[in-house]
Amino acid sequence: MEAKHIKHLYNRIGFGITPNQTYHLVGLSKKEIVNQLFNTSKNTTPLTVKVDFNFNDLKDKTRRRELVKKSKRKLKEYNIAWIDRLFNPAELLREKMTLFWANHFVCKDNNILLVQQYNNLLRKNALGNFGDFVTKMAKEPAMLKYLNNRQNVKQNPNENFARELMELFTLGQGNYTEKDIKESARAFTGYSNNFKGEFILRKKKHDYDEKEFMGKTGNFYGEDIIEIILQQKQCARFISNKIYTYFVNDNINKDHINQMVSVFYPKYDIKELMKFVLLSDWFYADENIGVKIKSPIEFLVGINTIVPFTINNKKHTFLIQRLLGQTLLNPPNVAGWKGGRNWIDSNTIVTRLRLPSVLLNNAEISYSDKGEFEDTVTDFNEKKLRKKVAIATITKWNVFTENFKNITIDELTQQIIITTINSGTAQLLKDTKNVSKQDFCIQLLSLPEYQLC
Amino acid sequence: MDRRKFIKRTSLASGGLFFVPQFLKAFDQHIINPFSNKKIVIVHLKGGNDGLNTVVPFRNDIYFQKRQQLALSANEFFKITDEVALHNSLKPLQKLYNNGYLSIINNVGYPNPNRSHFRSSDIWQTASNSNEFLNTGWVGRYLDHTKSKPHNAIEVDESLSLLLKGKHQNGLALTNPKLLNRIVKEPFFSNVIQHYNDTHLSEHNLGYLYDSMINAESSAKYIYEKTKTQKSTQTYPKNVFGKQLKTIAEFINSGLETQVYYAGLNGFDTHVNQKNRQKKLLTIYADSIDAFIKDIEKNDSFKDVLVLTFSEFGRRVQQNASKGTDHGSANNVFILSKNLQKQGLYNNISNLQNLDENGDLKYTIDFREIYATILNNWLQVNDTKILNKSFSKLKFIKPNN
Repeated sequence: MEAKHIKHLYNRIGFGITPNQTYHLVGLSKKEIVNQLFNTSKNTTPLTVKVDFNFNDLKDKTRRRELVKKSKRKLKEYNIAWIDRLFNPAELLREKMTLFWANHFVCKDNNILLVQQYNNLLRKNALGNFGDFVTKMAKEPAMLKYLNNRQNVKQNPNENFARELMELFTLGQGNYTEKDIKESARAFTGYSNNFKGEFILRKKKHDYDEKEFMGKTGNFYGEDIIEIILQQKQCARFISNKIYTYFVNDNINKDHINQMVSVFYPKYDIKELMKFVLLSDWFYADENIGVKIKSPIEFLVGINTIVPFTINNKKHTFLIQRLLGQTLLNPPNVAGWKGGRNWIDSNTIVTRLRLPSVLLNNAEISYSDKGEFEDTVTDFNEKKLRKKVAIATITKWNVFTENFKNITIDELTQQIIITTINSGTAQLLKDTKNVSKQDFCIQLLSLPEYQLC
Repeated sequence: MDRRKFIKRTSLASGGLFFVPQFLKAFDQHIINPFSNKKIVIVHLKGGNDGLNTVVPFRNDIYFQKRQQLALSANEFFKITDEVALHNSLKPLQKLYNNGYLSIINNVGYPNPNRSHFRSSDIWQTASNSNEFLNTGWVGRYLDHTKSKPHNAIEVDESLSLLLKGKHQNGLALTNPKLLNRIVKEPFFSNVIQHYNDTHLSEHNLGYLYDSMINAESSAKYIYEKTKTQKSTQTYPKNVFGKQLKTIAEFINSGLETQVYYAGLNGFDTHVNQKNRQKKLLTIYADSIDAFIKDIEKNDSFKDVLVLTFSEFGRRVQQNASKGTDHGSANNVFILSKNLQKQGLYNNISNLQNLDENGDLKYTIDFREIYATILNNWLQVNDTKILNKSFSKLKFIKPNN
């Protein structure tokens, strides 16, 4: 396989690749490389942090508040653990798919135990069967809570979950009626959980009567509703579109989607679908290479692929995520991050172009604590809230030197930048080549071109 | 500084005359835009300010019954009508009130209120329905509609809120123009801009990235050049909010073309021991606003400025067991302007007898009617295009100023 195509593949299913790794793959065929990717992602290593408390004591208000506080601290720990995992992923494809699904089955909660369970459900099913995945998600406590299904009871149905199930998780807008929402909401009444985070059906709250959903009638449960949804080819199309946008190109090619749908429907095997995409010729077409804007996480982790680094003060990890506009575990709303050009505004572009110098060259960055709603801010002193910091990192330039030892400065550009460089910028790079390899690398990472993958 | 001088200086500073800096194109486009000198300053009291203890129904028995420990006593408020008083912390606003520069709109909310801070803030920022998820803020859509530049809407913070994000154009977040300008002036950064030579901006993603970079640079330069000599002599409270308003006053007084400013004050989520907290916060708010109005008044700019203060929701009428209040729904909105059509209380204060099933106030004015009125009467643009829907206009501001 051609080096360029290997790089493209790893940009999309991972976070870039070093010349050393590429070198070892060049002799292999496309099939061998793709199979290897799936093989290394066969297992699932759950992501956990140690939690030494539980939530069975929620009646007392003071105690509850204390727990929420503890839990929030743990969530931060979990966020950092996730970023660490992405910096050193064993199951690369699975982790990338997990990020994808986290922005599909979007959910947010304050309870670390529920969040952990939900997050690992994503990880475990990332390459599994989509039908099973949705069914499990419909019983996942964090999700039931987030979409108000615990308030969905026979006496007073709450339609939130049913609506998002169809609009965002399976069919997309315009492919169901308001009546379908009402009827399916009834099928999910009583779907709830206990304090241990286990699913329970509250029998007294469930509506056992007949429902009419998408032309079918029966005493449906939630699972039956999902079954009927999966029978719609539109569901396979909706998911294929989303995968195509995320892994291939923001601009949809209908022929490619049709091919994907015929692979995906009716079995809904995610692994099979992904294999098909990664083995297709069109995935490697020039029009699909170097045209997507990296998400903040892809951008951040991508820098680490080239020059590994660790951030000394863990708090700075949040700061970076916030300034770039994507904090893991904290999506903006149930629709998730919109992606593409929406990542970029005047502020995020400046942050992005500056971040490589900040991380690798000890440049300063200024910020203020926007604070959270729940914060008990007692100190409003400006100096304490507004800070200018150098984000101290330990950079492993020796790893960079080793990985890029056979690469000349001339070759460095095409190793790091996958897209065609603007000719004016290329000229500028030519003129500034008599700097060290390290400095030249930082320059490349600071270009608008590096934002693309 | 005039434009010619500006061009000269920037081209000299960048060292190259061969390439015409792209950002100047942005300026040419900008100058064509007819530009209204009306400005709005949006202030978000974050966390959900307790409206009932801000605008106090001090003759209402229910208020005292439901707030045994929290109801304000006579020495904690000052009367503005026979029925209504304001929290003592708002004393600095009394003069503005007496002059007819303050309008208080009561019971502002929206159907099916959401009681999550994040969600409800999004709803206020995007002007969406409560079951609708929009990815653009209403100010962002204003920028789209008026084909503005990033610096036409400024959030005095380090990162940009949804409020200022449009489909095609975003506002700019900044706290320190000098610092931002220094960053974009760094040799490598400005060199890249100087060398960029593609005229097909924005058609593909790479063009879009360069375009954003150039926009950021030109806005940063513009703001810095325009404001660097304008230093406020007004004394402001020494806290983040005071600093934000000071920055905004400097920008306004320097004649910056910015039409929308956004600032926020944190900490209103008063579930526990509310009284002291709120007192302190409202003091910060009122003292800063007072300084701000004095500052822009000195420069005769107040006539062109409207200040809108909102909170993502109000709080429950019934206090909780921790001497605090929980998340509620409808709340009051403050409008400060010299061009008020209706001064003082715009409408009757909340009916405490007729609450919703959660024991929260029912809204009588949709917050988007306020936006529509400001867009239409004050900024004089088509509000329906920006809000995606037609809302009836209120009468708090004089039309056609």
